[in-house]
Amino acid sequence: MRHIFAASSIALVAAAIALVVGPAVSAQNTARVADLSGDWLPDRSRGGMGQSLSLSDIGGRKRGNEDDIPYQPWARAKTLSEKTSTGPDPHFEATTDPQVIYCEPPGVPHIYLWPIKTRFIQTPQAVYILYEIGPFFRVVWLNEKHPDDPDPQWWGHSIGHYENGDTLVVDTIGFNDKTWLDQMGHPHTEKLHLIERFKRANKTQLEVDMTIDDPGAYTKPWFSHRNLVLSDSGFLRYQQICSVRENQQFFDNVGKPAVPTPGK
Amino acid sequence: MRRSKLLAVAIGTALMAAPGVVLAHHGANLYDMTKTVKVTGTIAKFYWGNPHNEVTIDATDEKGAAVQWVAYTEPPLVMLERGWTRKSLNFGDKVTAYIFQARNGSPVGTLNRIVLPDGKELTAYPMPGAPAVPNPPANLRSQ
Repeated sequence: MRHIFAASSIALVAAAIALVVGPAVSAQNTARVADLSGDWLPDRSRGGMGQSLSLSDIGGRKRGNEDDIPYQPWARAKTLSEKTSTGPDPHFEATTDPQVIYCEPPGVPHIYLWPIKTRFIQTPQAVYILYEIGPFFRVVWLNEKHPDDPDPQWWGHSIGHYENGDTLVVDTIGFNDKTWLDQMGHPHTEKLHLIERFKRANKTQLEVDMTIDDPGAYTKPWFSHRNLVLSDSGFLRYQQICSVRENQQFFDNVGKPAVPTPGK
Repeated sequence: MRRSKLLAVAIGTALMAAPGVVLAHHGANLYDMTKTVKVTGTIAKFYWGNPHNEVTIDATDEKGAAVQWVAYTEPPLVMLERGWTRKSLNFGDKVTAYIFQARNGSPVGTLNRIVLPDGKELTAYPMPGAPAVPNPPANLRSQ
């Protein structure tokens, strides 16, 4: 009788798990899933986010002349024509950063250059990547293919898979061309193909390797990297929402009085 | 003709207003980030919100005239990580603030740090001890 009860309990639990997990789960899918749980903050002990994706020029001092960004001529000229809001040569009152001007989404990989946390919600069908700014989220579809001709959109179309039990590989195409790749105005086109590799290096470190492949703007793929560190201070404790009204108030209070008077 | 002139005026007005939208973040070109000025006074207002927190301080200048300062910090999401809350500063608190002032001499700027009535010091910017440049992993440095 006891055995029957135990067997029934196990069957009930199994049925409950099946209901929660769903029929799409296979042993192969669940066996090598990387554990990305936790909240991930840019690693300040290693300098934080920086302003540029260039690994040779994280601070943006050589903008347009970095030795690790294989510009096409127009992309270099476009980069140099932009007025950044931060970095070594900021133009606070005249920036052309679309995220600042229009409150548009920063997109990826630009969003990893913000001092905000990232959280991964992992399900058998998809990984949902949540960001504290916006707040925005992306859907990374597992075990699926890209559509043949995706509509160009802010966050593109992302598919993913796990590798080695510690890495989530996210493959994204279908971006629009409205975002900057970073704070330094590096452009991209709708041909951008971004690969992000999120590797749980250890309990507290998450490495983000990025391959930027955009034959519309660069002559060959190039690479960048950021480190994120596990944070236990809480997720989305304040909603960092871009509001044109609040931006205007800030400008009126702090910005406008500081703008130099012409001729002085 | 008259319509064109009105349109030109409207566009001009819009362009003059546009920097308000543009000027949302980061003011290193407008503020002298190489040195701070010391401002002693009382908290008139503490705005805790996006895109940046704002600390308004009633003070007096060297001639004894009233002057109101406004200094900003990074937004709440960031300042919470640095131990600040919306109750860190309160109306009427007597404080000493260190501010990266506007280059044009206006009483506005970026808050460096502020000393509270009990002597406690809150740092706003920059974060103490943060190195300027991250150290990329070896496997990517050569690429």
